[in-house]
Amino acid sequence: MPIQINTSVKGKEYAPYRVTVERGKIKEFARAIGDLSPMYLDDAVAKAGPWGDIIAPPTFPITFRDEGGDTGALLRDLGVDIGRILHGEQEFEHFKPIRPGQTYLCRLRIADIYEKAGKSGPMAFVVRETTVTDSDNDIVALMRGTTVVRLSS
Amino acid sequence: MKYAKVYAEDVQVGSEMPPLVKPPIQQIQLTRYAGASGDFNPIHQDAAFAKAAGMGDVFAHGMLSMGFVAQSVTDWLGVGTVRKLGVRFAALVRLGDVVTCRGKVVAKRPPKDGDGPYLADLELWAENQKGEKVITGKATAALISRA
Repeated sequence: MPIQINTSVKGKEYAPYRVTVERGKIKEFARAIGDLSPMYLDDAVAKAGPWGDIIAPPTFPITFRDEGGDTGALLRDLGVDIGRILHGEQEFEHFKPIRPGQTYLCRLRIADIYEKAGKSGPMAFVVRETTVTDSDNDIVALMRGTTVVRLSS
Repeated sequence: MKYAKVYAEDVQVGSEMPPLVKPPIQQIQLTRYAGASGDFNPIHQDAAFAKAAGMGDVFAHGMLSMGFVAQSVTDWLGVGTVRKLGVRFAALVRLGDVVTCRGKVVAKRPPKDGDGPYLADLELWAENQKGEKVITGKATAALISRA
């Protein structure tokens, strides 16, 4: 028998949370990927560049986590063990550069939950959307991630 | 804007992205990425946990490979050009795997109202050393005119 997940959290909006981007965190993230662009790592070079400072790499907003609405919270809401999940899909849309020292407001919701048969048995797909806005209330980035839950027991 | 690697005039539909070949995946990189990203799922760190979960061994965070794909675009077109990036994680990336990111331009759109950047739509993929696709995706990049 496949396991059951709590699909009633579809549509749930988590409490909005703020994230302040640390300069060192941008550099740590770029180095972990092995992306050594000076626009992420070199304050002096970036200062002379188009943004007057370093900016964050395109996938950096994935670090915008909050204990109230992170993957741990999702797993508790779904009633699922962490060993069952895989990352299925991920999208980012960028409207403004993400800069060190700025504080961003993140709004996360569960946009969809659906089940379907996969190659290795039944799967649930959980789609989470995060809207990131800045202090001017401009949309900076949108994230949409699909988590796959392996339902086979 | 003074900083541009590639201008709108430099790419056409069919232009191929220079492949980005990343070093073999090592456990230490997965540990660094866990710390940098905040994703501490033990399935990327602990072989016994990964085995018990039915995954055989640890595997790389999908987001690490997506970071490689993002780098392949910004190495080519410039940091700050990515307007959209979307991927599907098609296969697991394992320790020792060599990920190569590839792509090509599938559309190029002129500025709206004659102002602002051109938009280039890219088809992207990443493959392992066996030529198996581990990521498929697409991106839209903003490119300024040389003029």
